[in-house]
Amino acid sequence: MIGLGESLIGLIRLGDIVLYLTPTTLTLFLTAVGFTVVMALSRPETQVELVFGMDGYKKSEMPMGEIKFRRYMAIVCGVATAGAMITGDIFDFALFVTLAGIADVGIVAASKKPQVLDAAYQYGMTLMIAGLPLFGAAALVLGTAGTLSLHELDTIRVSGVVAVLFILGVLGEIGVAPFYAAKARLFRALGAPYIIMIHVSTLLIIVRTVEIIVTLL
Amino acid sequence: MEIGALFQTAIVIGFASAFIAFLGFVLERDDVHKLVLTDLIEVLTLMIVACVGTDLAECLILPALVVGVAEVLAFSELAVAKEKTRLGFEEKTQQSPLNIEVLRTSPNLIAIILILYGAVLTGFTGGAVAGLGMLYYLVCRWEGDITKSFWEGVGAVSGVAWCLWILGFLLFFIVPDLWLLALFLAGGGILVKVTSKMGLIGIEGKRSFRSPGGKT
Amino acid sequence: MRIGDAWNALSDPRMVPRLFAAMVVLVLLMGMVTTYTYQGDKLYPKVLNPESPLDPYDRGGAPLREPGDVKAQYPENAPKLGWITSYLTPLTTWLAEKTRHLGTTIVSHPGGVIDEILYYTRGLDTVLETSILMMAFVVASWLITKED
Repeated sequence: MIGLGESLIGLIRLGDIVLYLTPTTLTLFLTAVGFTVVMALSRPETQVELVFGMDGYKKSEMPMGEIKFRRYMAIVCGVATAGAMITGDIFDFALFVTLAGIADVGIVAASKKPQVLDAAYQYGMTLMIAGLPLFGAAALVLGTAGTLSLHELDTIRVSGVVAVLFILGVLGEIGVAPFYAAKARLFRALGAPYIIMIHVSTLLIIVRTVEIIVTLL
Repeated sequence: MEIGALFQTAIVIGFASAFIAFLGFVLERDDVHKLVLTDLIEVLTLMIVACVGTDLAECLILPALVVGVAEVLAFSELAVAKEKTRLGFEEKTQQSPLNIEVLRTSPNLIAIILILYGAVLTGFTGGAVAGLGMLYYLVCRWEGDITKSFWEGVGAVSGVAWCLWILGFLLFFIVPDLWLLALFLAGGGILVKVTSKMGLIGIEGKRSFRSPGGKT
Repeated sequence: MRIGDAWNALSDPRMVPRLFAAMVVLVLLMGMVTTYTYQGDKLYPKVLNPESPLDPYDRGGAPLREPGDVKAQYPENAPKLGWITSYLTPLTTWLAEKTRHLGTTIVSHPGGVIDEILYYTRGLDTVLETSILMMAFVVASWLITKED
């Protein structure tokens, strides 16, 4: 019925927004959920830093408040990603992506270091301007195809510009997030496990975007 | 003009405006100016969504609007935090209190009118109106200070309202016969939620609006 | 320019939003010369009745007695479709009888076609929308209160 010619396992009917499960979307959904559970249960690592110029080291730990905040944001990001995997509506997908994006900003912005905050702010700028291509593309799909449901869009073609705008929107909302996470040097910073959520959600959402683009064209 | 041509024209005008705005964003270097330009781009997003012109488009505008407002809220706060950390100063900025008489005398009446009117409206618009009343009162008159527990308390109220609303949303599909109850749960829940959020913005606004501990 | 210079320019986080904006500018140029055919009125179409005090939102029906005429994407998923559209609060009914257009203003909430779409047929959108607002607020309040 939908996308890549797959068999349908189940539908969740919430009015006009019909979530659907196919082998692909179900796998992606379970990956996101499983990773979120692991993330919620894992403990942040404690880092040991060498002190330069002497034979010593110090242990640096993240304050409890920051741990809780990052974990909360990571869980929200995971839930939003899981939702984006199974949604059957293009506007709904855009909103899920935005939710994941703003949670990503939260993960990056939890730090107190100036360069990390600067990276988070620049990512925030990208996220805000990406709203125009993303929601604009969704509105153009409604205007030119007459529907937002991916179940109907499977048989309707929309113009290529709309698809490109949509890709750009998703890229800006979440696709460039790992770049900022890497720029803020968060891998080697404290609180490492929660940051991987940014990468997982980016990866899963880009895979899903490809499926949606196949449906649109 | 027939509707197809109107749609085409509107979209092209929308894209042209967005083109100018994005070009401005590419050329701008100052961070704060960029924030203003992103707000302009959010408005243009609404314009492109509005081109569709049906009742459904009207309903898509609301999420797009709220997303824009939420992002401006979070990222302007982020900009403040960023600059504070970069410059390394704490709350020592020189603030010049506004000595405007209206701000001392009007809040009681205006806040009551707005909150009552907002409660009648319900829903998102009602929450915005009532929240505006609360914001105005808190910015101008409130003498208390922010404590963490107070902040968390207001957050909890808004969380409970959110749950009411989710309950209403689920009722629509589990027990369709209770649609009227579900509608009021949704409308009431969103009212309380938005109002409390706006109130918290008012508390934060008060801190930067007035001199520490002083009158308006 | 060598590729190393390009990477070095990209390593500044400030470059990425500008690069992204430049990409969008190019696509918008393409978008301005594309033809769009209008199909937007397939969902929730309306017949204008300038005589009605609820124009342009009038879709018939009587509050709590008769559902309005609404065409959603999947009517089979919304068994009570049209009831919220026709519902008016007592205040709205009074306003609609007494005045010409006040019944259509935001005073008519809850009820009306906008609430039908926002809370019922596309309810998940609104749930997500406020979740986004909540997350933005959580981030903002974290930044505000973290010094305390």
